[in-house]
Amino acid sequence: MRLLAVTVSLGAALLVMTTAPSYAAGGDAIFKKSCSNCHYTDGPAKEKTIADQLAKKGPELWYAGSKFKKDWLTAWLQAPKPIRPMKYNSITDKNPGDHPKMSAGDAAAVTDFLMGLKSAEVKAGVIKAEVSVRGRKIFTKDMPCGGCHEYSTKDGLLGGKSGPSLAGSSKRLNPDWIYAYLANIKVFKPVRDMPDFGSVLGPKDIENVAAFVATFE
Amino acid sequence: MSRFVLVTTMALGLALSAAGSAQAADTKQLFEFYCAQCHGVKGDGKGINVGKDFATDPRNFTDSVEMAKRTDDDIKTVIKDGGPAISKSPLMPPWGATLSAAQVDELLAYIRKFAKK
Ligand code: HEC
Ligand code: HEC
Repeated sequence: MRLLAVTVSLGAALLVMTTAPSYAAGGDAIFKKSCSNCHYTDGPAKEKTIADQLAKKGPELWYAGSKFKKDWLTAWLQAPKPIRPMKYNSITDKNPGDHPKMSAGDAAAVTDFLMGLKSAEVKAGVIKAEVSVRGRKIFTKDMPCGGCHEYSTKDGLLGGKSGPSLAGSSKRLNPDWIYAYLANIKVFKPVRDMPDFGSVLGPKDIENVAAFVATFE
Repeated sequence: MSRFVLVTTMALGLALSAAGSAQAADTKQLFEFYCAQCHGVKGDGKGINVGKDFATDPRNFTDSVEMAKRTDDDIKTVIKDGGPAISKSPLMPPWGATLSAAQVDELLAYIRKFAKK
């Protein structure tokens, strides 16, 4: 009798495993199972204190569909390379580069799920990647951006290490999101170790610097 | 009666010192979250951002000679409005829209202590 019960439940478990292969599951289900331990996807922003931010194991993704470029996301999920030079929430340890990898099928499904997470704060189709004299001057001279962010130049990588690397922004980030982030950072990150430039730079200068950041190779 | 007063006073004292150390812990966290990325956890100006192309060395708060040249108002202004507000490098960012006036005061006191050690 006991044997029968075990066999039946074993059989049922096998059945579940074979009838629910992971590639058939929706991206949201895969995400919930493998990713939600470290990333939250239900906005708006939840962090209220520094302790809240430090308790997070990975960046919030509730506006992922407004932030990332789709092709970059699918490729990165399969072959993640460090974005932040330092380990998440650390200013002493290097990024170990140990982000979980996904299969092509799972990455495509999860990309569809994440690209559906939009923020109303981001107006589409306004900012175009562009190197302007003004944008470059704000980024490299007038403002401290390069002090905390790595960026690419024709002489190689320059800049600081506490922020996410902005090298590769042209492939990774949506220019309209960069603008919205700089103009109204509190919506995305109420608690962060980057200053609020919304009141320091005017809208035109935010446009210029966002367009410039969007060109980094 | 006097026993009661004594106990109450002791309890109050304990509560106050607990509040004091909670505040100290908060200020340390503020400093380490916002400032240490450039000024270093030890306040020596050797944060993780300070690499070979960092144009101006971040202020070393343990340098009592340099620190004595800054008034408290200079320090509060530079935290709120950034380096250029006191004719210093724009690499010092403006934190005025991020920190409250009370937090700036706490950070000033915290920074001053580095030169006294
Ligand atoms: C153990 C915690 C952990 C798990 C599990 C995890 N991540 Fe991450 N994730 C991180 C950290 C930390 C980073 C930052 C990595 C970096 O900067 O290089 C990150 C970065 C990302 C980014 C880029 C976000 C940004 O703002 O730069 C995406 C997208 C992402 N993860 C998706 C996923 C998906 C999808 C899964 C499920 C397979 C997943 N993560 C599982 C911790 C985790
Ligand atoms: C004091 C350090 C500091 C300065 C100065 C700074 N940043 Fe940041 N920046 C950060 C940090 C830290 C983050 C990540 C915040 C988070 O996600 O927790 C960030 C995030 C960003 C992001 C989003 C990157 C991503 O992948 O999530 C962009 C874009 C950006 N900064 C651009 C700028 C620009 C442009 C400037 C200058 C006007 C600037 N930053 C100045 C520290 C800084």
